[in-house]
Amino acid sequence: MVDDGPIISARNVDFFYGSFHALKGINLDMAKNEVTALIGPSGCGKSTFLKLLNRMNDFVPGARLSGEILISGRSVYGPDSDPVSIRRLVGMVFQRPNPFPKSIYDNICYGPRLVGVKKKCDLDIVVEKALLAAALWEDVKDKLGKSALELSGGQQQRVCIARALALNPDILLMDEPTSALDPIATAKVEEWIKSAGLSIVIVTHNMQQAARVSDHTAFFYMGELVEFGPTMEIFTRPREVRTENYITGRFG
Amino acid sequence: MFLSGVTLADRQKREFLALSLIKILGLSFLFVMGTLVIYLIYQGAGIISWDFLTQFPRDSMTAGGIWPAVVGTFGLAVGSMFVSLPLGFGAAVYLAEYARPGPLLTVIRLGVNNLAGVPSVVFGLFGLAIFVGFLGFGRSLLSGCLTLGILTLPTVTAAAEEALRQTPASFREAALALGANRWQAIRQVILPAALPGMLTGAILALGRAAGETAPVIFTASAAFTMANPESVFSEVMALPTHIFNLATNGTHIEATRPQQFGTCLVLMVLVLGLSLIAIILRARLRKGRKW
Repeated sequence: MVDDGPIISARNVDFFYGSFHALKGINLDMAKNEVTALIGPSGCGKSTFLKLLNRMNDFVPGARLSGEILISGRSVYGPDSDPVSIRRLVGMVFQRPNPFPKSIYDNICYGPRLVGVKKKCDLDIVVEKALLAAALWEDVKDKLGKSALELSGGQQQRVCIARALALNPDILLMDEPTSALDPIATAKVEEWIKSAGLSIVIVTHNMQQAARVSDHTAFFYMGELVEFGPTMEIFTRPREVRTENYITGRFG
Repeated sequence: MFLSGVTLADRQKREFLALSLIKILGLSFLFVMGTLVIYLIYQGAGIISWDFLTQFPRDSMTAGGIWPAVVGTFGLAVGSMFVSLPLGFGAAVYLAEYARPGPLLTVIRLGVNNLAGVPSVVFGLFGLAIFVGFLGFGRSLLSGCLTLGILTLPTVTAAAEEALRQTPASFREAALALGANRWQAIRQVILPAALPGMLTGAILALGRAAGETAPVIFTASAAFTMANPESVFSEVMALPTHIFNLATNGTHIEATRPQQFGTCLVLMVLVLGLSLIAIILRARLRKGRKW
């Protein structure tokens, strides 16, 4: 693993759903421990790109990829790469909170148990660490045995974050993680993203959100990566007209 | 007024008529059910006693009880679940989770649905030919359970598949994204979440298995047994066939009317009881699992 190299790099990535050309020649390097936002109108390919990073598109019939994606220098789609181990390295938080209908404790333990952590004392430590990291420990430390579905939407989403963090991933992918949350819960999740100090890739429809939480921003349009750069520059001095039109609300 | 010149009074009248009609239909259902139950209780309750439930029939069925038929029906109903639940749940997991959409899936699903509509007497003859005859299990509890198991298989499969399909896709995604393989996702997340719904099919199947008559006559039942079954290869008595025998080819058809209705009542209570157990189980599983 190269420490100061990019944590994610995409090289000439083309992606097809059947005959639909969903991503066209994407080249992108994302730095370690930074937040990268993917923005663009619906259907622009940003979510597709996100799901390529942990091979969640593998289940889509007719999906086809060319080019190369490297995570920490290792090929994601190479012949000897294994989707299951990649998903342990690259965590994911979804659009709607999707805790399992199990206790908070069992939700957090799901990933660690899959990799063979069995002892109660080890799991206890993992659960506390993950919940602390997701800024949820204080809220739920006295009710770990309760069903995660009894929590509020914002807390559920943070359970999902903690569940992903419990595997100690290199990267966390977030697919519009606040679109189903109210403003207060959204603010809490955003605060967490900013302070996490993790390599995070976040897809968002909300440009203010991208501006608030991210270090770098990538603007996708019709399957192309139009512009990628420091968030400040994208939002104040975009180089491309299409980027400017989008962020100023002229389309999308 | 605004649209087609229908006045407010007109609309209110129509709504009143429609609601009344629906209410009458609902009440008439209740009326039919109520009449049936009351008639059964009126005719059968008199004979119900501890002895009736726990004794063997005596004096050409005119006296004594129905204990062996209770045992037989309980065995057939529960035993058939050991056949239909594993097979049906397995088939449902395949259909809902693994099978790729295509002609094969369509044909299988068509088969499942059509099997549900096949008259039970056909299953009876099938069971007679295959289990009783070909496989040599004879007329026995085992043959009856296998036949009833296959008979209830479509119900179990269809309900289980529906329950699996209604499990949010997000559960599967979450499990896979955490590094589960497909079978782990199914076993650890999807199956537990779908189990309450899958049990609904089991409840229906249980009632059906307990109440079936024709297949049981073909494959499992004796008109009268001297003892309770010793093994799965024993012939058994069953409540529905007991009623049928008493009412159609007994030697004292009129004299055994109370026994016939009493047996009906016991059958109903048994089915309700078995269903109730499954319903309670389902409610417990559902606790804290609403999404």
